[in-house]
Amino acid sequence: MTSAASTETIVRARRRVNGIAPIIGLGLVGLLVVWLAVNFEKAPALFVKALLIGITNGSVYALVALGYTLVYGILELINFAHGDVFMLGGMMSATLMLSVFHIGSGESALSLWPALLASLAISMVFCGILNASIEKVAYRPLRRAPRVAPLITAIAMSFILQNVAIAWKGPNYISLPINILPHGVVFSIGRNTYTWDALIVVLLTAPVLVALVWLVQYTKQGKAMRATAQDREAAAMMGIDVNRTISFTFLIAGGLAGAAGLIYSVYFTSIRFDQGFQLGLFAFTAAVLGGIGNLPGAVLGALFIGLTQSFNNTLGWHAPGSDWTQSIVFSILILILVFRPEGILGERTPEGG
Amino acid sequence: MGSELWRRIFALPGAARWAVLARVGVTEDAWKAWPVMYRRAVVAVLVGLVALVVLAPFSGIDLAAVYTWIVFAVLFVPPWERIPRVGKFIPALGMLAVVVAYPYYADKLYTLPILGAFPDVHTGVVMLIYAMMALGLNVVVGYAGLLDLGYVAFYAIGAYSAAWFASQQFAGQNPDGSAKHSFHFLAIGIDPTLGGIHLTPWLLLVVGGVFAALIGMLIGLPTLRLRGDYLAIVTLGFGEILPQVARNGDSLFGQNITNGPQGIVPLDTLGFGNTLHRVLGLPANYQIAPNGDSLYFWTAIVLVLITLFCSLRLRASRLGRAWVAIREDETAASAMGIPLMRTKTLAYAIGAFFGGVAGAYFAIFTSSANPDSFQLNFSVFVLVMVILGGMGNVWGVLVGAAFLAYLDQAGLANTGAWLSDHLGLNLDVPKYEFGIYGVMLLVMMLFRPHGLIPEARRKMEFEHGVHDEPLYDEMGDDAHVAGASH
Amino acid sequence: MKKRIRFGIPLAVIVGAALVVVGVATATSSRSHSASVLPTSSCAKLQYGGSGSPQYIIPSDLPLQGSSRTQTVEMTKAIAYTFKQAGYKAGKYTVGYQSCDDSTAQAGKWDPAKCAANVGNYVRDKSVIGVIGTFNSGCVELEIPIANRASLGYASPANTYDGLTQVQPGVTSAGEPGKYYPTGKRNYVRVVAADINQGTADAILLKQKKITSVYILNDKEAYGLGVANDMRNGSKANGLKIAGFAAWDPKAASYQDLATKIQSSGAKAVYLGGLECENGGKLIKDLRAGLGASFLMEAPDGFSSFKDTVAHAGDASAGMIISIAGQPFAKLGKSGKAFAAAFGKSIGLKAKDVNPYSNYAATAALTMLKAVANSDGTRASVTANLFKTSFADSPIGAFKLNKNGDTNAAPISFYTIKGGQAVFTTLINPAKK
Repeated sequence: MTSAASTETIVRARRRVNGIAPIIGLGLVGLLVVWLAVNFEKAPALFVKALLIGITNGSVYALVALGYTLVYGILELINFAHGDVFMLGGMMSATLMLSVFHIGSGESALSLWPALLASLAISMVFCGILNASIEKVAYRPLRRAPRVAPLITAIAMSFILQNVAIAWKGPNYISLPINILPHGVVFSIGRNTYTWDALIVVLLTAPVLVALVWLVQYTKQGKAMRATAQDREAAAMMGIDVNRTISFTFLIAGGLAGAAGLIYSVYFTSIRFDQGFQLGLFAFTAAVLGGIGNLPGAVLGALFIGLTQSFNNTLGWHAPGSDWTQSIVFSILILILVFRPEGILGERTPEGG
Repeated sequence: MGSELWRRIFALPGAARWAVLARVGVTEDAWKAWPVMYRRAVVAVLVGLVALVVLAPFSGIDLAAVYTWIVFAVLFVPPWERIPRVGKFIPALGMLAVVVAYPYYADKLYTLPILGAFPDVHTGVVMLIYAMMALGLNVVVGYAGLLDLGYVAFYAIGAYSAAWFASQQFAGQNPDGSAKHSFHFLAIGIDPTLGGIHLTPWLLLVVGGVFAALIGMLIGLPTLRLRGDYLAIVTLGFGEILPQVARNGDSLFGQNITNGPQGIVPLDTLGFGNTLHRVLGLPANYQIAPNGDSLYFWTAIVLVLITLFCSLRLRASRLGRAWVAIREDETAASAMGIPLMRTKTLAYAIGAFFGGVAGAYFAIFTSSANPDSFQLNFSVFVLVMVILGGMGNVWGVLVGAAFLAYLDQAGLANTGAWLSDHLGLNLDVPKYEFGIYGVMLLVMMLFRPHGLIPEARRKMEFEHGVHDEPLYDEMGDDAHVAGASH
Repeated sequence: MKKRIRFGIPLAVIVGAALVVVGVATATSSRSHSASVLPTSSCAKLQYGGSGSPQYIIPSDLPLQGSSRTQTVEMTKAIAYTFKQAGYKAGKYTVGYQSCDDSTAQAGKWDPAKCAANVGNYVRDKSVIGVIGTFNSGCVELEIPIANRASLGYASPANTYDGLTQVQPGVTSAGEPGKYYPTGKRNYVRVVAADINQGTADAILLKQKKITSVYILNDKEAYGLGVANDMRNGSKANGLKIAGFAAWDPKAASYQDLATKIQSSGAKAVYLGGLECENGGKLIKDLRAGLGASFLMEAPDGFSSFKDTVAHAGDASAGMIISIAGQPFAKLGKSGKAFAAAFGKSIGLKAKDVNPYSNYAATAALTMLKAVANSDGTRASVTANLFKTSFADSPIGAFKLNKNGDTNAAPISFYTIKGGQAVFTTLINPAKK
C-alpha cells in the first residue's frame, strides 16, 4: 500500500525533523545540566532532598506508566482510563485499610503488614479485572473501527470511572492517617533524612519491574504478548489466542495500577476522583519519554518526571516554581512527541519490532 | 435537504421490515403507489403517536410537543422539494423562521416531560455558541478525522483576544490612579475617556478567530505530522497548558497579561452605536436594550449560519474532498497528490478559527474571560456534541450541540428536580453530568458510531473500516491494519 | 414526466389543527402572566407566605452545585428563614423569595454564562427589587455592571474580594472598582468584611506571636490569590519579611517539595491562602511532616470548616491558627445567638453548628428587607437605601455600611486547633487600629 511519491515526502519530512531535533535536544539538555549544577552548588542540601523526593514520587509514577506502556505496546491504544483504574484502586485500598482492617497511624508491624499485603492483593485483583473488563466492553468491539474510535471510548471510560468514584466516595478528597507506613529514619545526609516509608515505595517498584520484564521476556505468556504486539494476525496463525493474550495484558496492567493505587493511598494519604486522570497523564508522559512500549524506559521516564517535578517545585535558582509544573511536564510531552516520538531509549516500535 | 433529512430521521422501511408489514396488509407495492405526501403524513402520525405513548405517562399530553410535531409535519410532509428551484429551500427556511422567532414564543411554550421547560432565550444563545464551536470542531474531527482533545484552547484564545481589546485590562495606572493608556475605535456604550484598549467588538469576533487560527497553525505545523493518537495527546497537552498560562498570566515576566484567576471583566458590549440606531433603527447597545438577550440570540444565529454555510461549502469543495480522502486513507491520498501537511493544517486552522470566534462571542456575551472556563472537560464536552450528532454531518452536529448545551445549562438540573418530585429520588443528577456523557460516548461508539444523524460516507467507513494508519509508522504495522480494512 | 404536486387535504388538516392548538395555548397561557416569578432553569420555586402573590421578589444568587454546596444550601435556608420571620413583609410591601443557582454541573462551581443569565433575568423581571448575592466575587463582577445600568441593588453575604468596592495596591487591578459601575453610581454593598481586613489581622497576629518572616501560599483561585495578596500587603505594613510567595497545585500528589522549599527559605510561619477543599488537608499534612510539629501555620476562612480541616489533616492540624471574619459564637450579640439557636432548630442543627455564613446570609437578607421597607418602591430607591444600612444588632452584631458599601465592623476571630477542636483564642479588629 505504499507509494513512491508519498514515501518520499514523508521521508523528507522526517529527515528535516531529525535534522533540528538533536540540536534542540542537546541545547535543552545542556541548559538543564547547567541549571542543575548551579542549583546544586547554591544549596546542596536542598538539592539532595529534592532528589530523594523526586525518586520516590517517580517510583509511583513508574507503576502507572508501566501499565500504559504494556497496553500501548500490544494494542497501540492510549488507555486514558488507566489513570482512573489506578484511582479506583487507591480508593479501594483506602477503604480496605480504614474500614475493613481498621489501620490507624503508627500500627505495629504485626498488624500493619498482613493488612497491607491483603489490601495489595485485593486491590491488584480488583483493578486487573476492572481493566480487563474495560477492554472487553469498550475496546474489543472497536478493533476494526477507525483509530479515533477506541480513543474516544477510552476517554468515555475515564469519565465513567471518575463518576463511579464520585458516586462511591463523593467529590471531596478522602484522607488517610499520615503515619500508616513506618516513618523511621533510614539514613540522613546533613539535615536531610530519608525515611522508611519512602524506601518502601521504591523497594516495591523495583521487584515489580523485574518480575514484569521476566514475564514479558522469558515466559510463554510473555512470548505470546510480544508476538501479538508485533503482528496480531501472524500470531493468531501461530496458534496464539490473541484475545486471551490481550485480556491478560490488560489484567497485568490493571494489577500494576492496583498496586500503585495502594502505594499512593498509604504513602500520599489523600486521594480524589480526578487525581487519577492527572497522574495518568504524567505517567503517560513518562511512558512516552522512555519510549512507549519499552518497560525499563517507562521506569526511567517516570523517574525523570518525578525529578522534574520535585526540582522545579523545590530549587531556588531560576526555577519556574510549582505554578508551572503541569505546563512543564506537558511541554516535555509535546516536545518529545514532536521531535523524538520513539522516546529517549530509542527503539522505534514496541518490543523492538 | 428536506427529503434527505426526512429519510434519515424516519428511516423508511427497509427490505427486511416489509415482511413484517406485509402481515398487516401493507405491501411494498401498495405503499409505493401512494402519493408521497400521504406516505409521509402516515409516518409523521405514527411517529407522533409513538412519541405520545412514550411521553404522555410522564406529563400528560404536552402542547409544546404537539406544536413541534405540527411544525415538523408542515415543513416535511408536503413534497416541497418538487417546487422548482426554490422548493428545496422551503423546509430549511421554515426551520430557520421557527428558530428566529423563538424569543417571541419561548416563554409561551409548555414544559417538556422530565427535561423541564423549554430553554429561555439566554440559554438559547449559549446553545448557539456551543453549536458554532461544535461545527468548528466538526471540521477537524468530522471532516479531516483528526482527534483534537484541546479544542478549548482556541476557545480560550478567542475569549482572551476579545477581552484584551475591549476592556480596561491594558489601561495602566498613573500615580494619581487615573488610566495611563486609552485607545478607542468604534466602541460603543462606554465613556470615551475610559482607559484601556476598546475596539469595536464586531471587529474582535474576527480578531479572535484569526488569532485562534494562527495559533492553530503554529500548533499544527509541528504536530500534525504525528499519527492520530499522538496528535490527540499533543492537543490534550496544549489544552492543559493554556489554562495554566491564563491562570499564571497575571505576572508573566512582570506583566499582567490575563489578570490571573480573577479573569478579565467587564467587557464592552455589542451594538451599532447611536448613529446607526437613528439612521437604520439598528439597536444601539445590546446590553441596555430591553430585549438584549434576543439581540444576542439573533446575532448568534447569523454567526451560526455563516459557520454552517462555510462548513457546507468546504465539505463540497476540493479541500473538503481532500480531507475525506485523508481521513479514509492517508497513504492513498498522498499518493494521489494531496499535500498532507497543508490540507491537515488548513483543517486545523479553520476549526480553530470558528472556535476562536465562538470564544470571542461568548466572552462578549458574558462580559468576561476567565481561566476557569477552559478545562479539559470542556473539550470533551464539545467532542460529545460532535459525536452524538454524527461526525461530519453538520445537521447532526447542530442538533447534538443544541441538545447537550441545553442539558448542561438547564436540562440536567430540571431532570434532577423531576426525579425528586415524581419518584422521590434524591439524586443530584448534574453531579454525574460527565458520567452521563461518558455513557453517551461509549454507547454511541459501540452501537451507532456514525452518530444519530450520520453522514453517509462516515457510516460506510465505520461499517467497512478504513486505512487510517499513517505511513510514517513505517515499521510494518500494516499487518494489523489489514485486519481493519475489509 | 412531471409529477403532480398534491398539497390538498392533508395540508389543510394540519394547518387547521395548528391554528386550533395555538388558539388553545394562547388562551391557557395568558393565565401565567399575573405572577412574574423567575424561571425554573436556574431558580427554585417562589417562597411566599402571604395571600395572593407578592408585590416584589428578592432572589438570592448562590452556587448550589459543586464543592460549596453544603454551605450555600444552608445559606438559602437562612435567607428563607429570615423572610418567613419577617412575614414576607418589608415595611408596607409584600416580598417573596426565590433561590437562584449560579453554578452548572459541568463547572462544579459558579459559571460565567449562568451568572450572566441570572442577572439578565433579574433586570428584565420588573418585580425583582433587589438581589441577595453572590457567593463568589468572580460571579458578582459579571453581574453588577449589568445590574448597575438598571439601578438594581445587590447585598452580598460572602464576597470578600477588595476590588469590588475599594482600591488596594498590589491586590486590585487597574480600573477597579470603577469598572464595575459603568453609570458611576454604586449599586453593591456587602455585609462581610473585605479580605484586606483579614489579611491585615492575620499579619498582626503573626507579629504578636513574634514571627519575623512568613511564607505565603495560595491555591491560584480568585479567592485564594486575593487573600494571599492581602496577607502580603498586611505583612509588609506590619514589618514582616515575606520569605516567599508560591502556589500549591490542588491536584498534586504531595507537597513535600513545597515543605522543603519553605524550610530552606528560613520562614518562621506559613500562610495558606486558599480553600481547604483544594487539597488543604494533604497540604497541612505534608507541611507538618516537613516543617516540624511546632512550625506555625495560619489560614484564612477558606479553612473555616473546622470539621473538614481536622478530618482531612488529622493530627497534623494541631496548633494551626485559622482566622474567620466576624465574631465567634460565644461573643455574638443577642440577635446573633437568638438567630443561630432558632434557625439551627428549624433545620435540625445545634446553635454552635450553624455555619457562620448562614448568619451573614440572614444579615444580607435583613439588610435588603430594610432597604426595601425604607424605599419608595423603586429599584433606585432600594439601592440608595442599601448604603444607609445601619444595625445596632444583627445576626452578625452591630455594623454600619459606608459609601463604598463596605462594613465598618471587621472583627476577625482567631481559632487554634487543639485536640481536634477549634478553640477561640483572640479577636483582632484591624479597622480600629
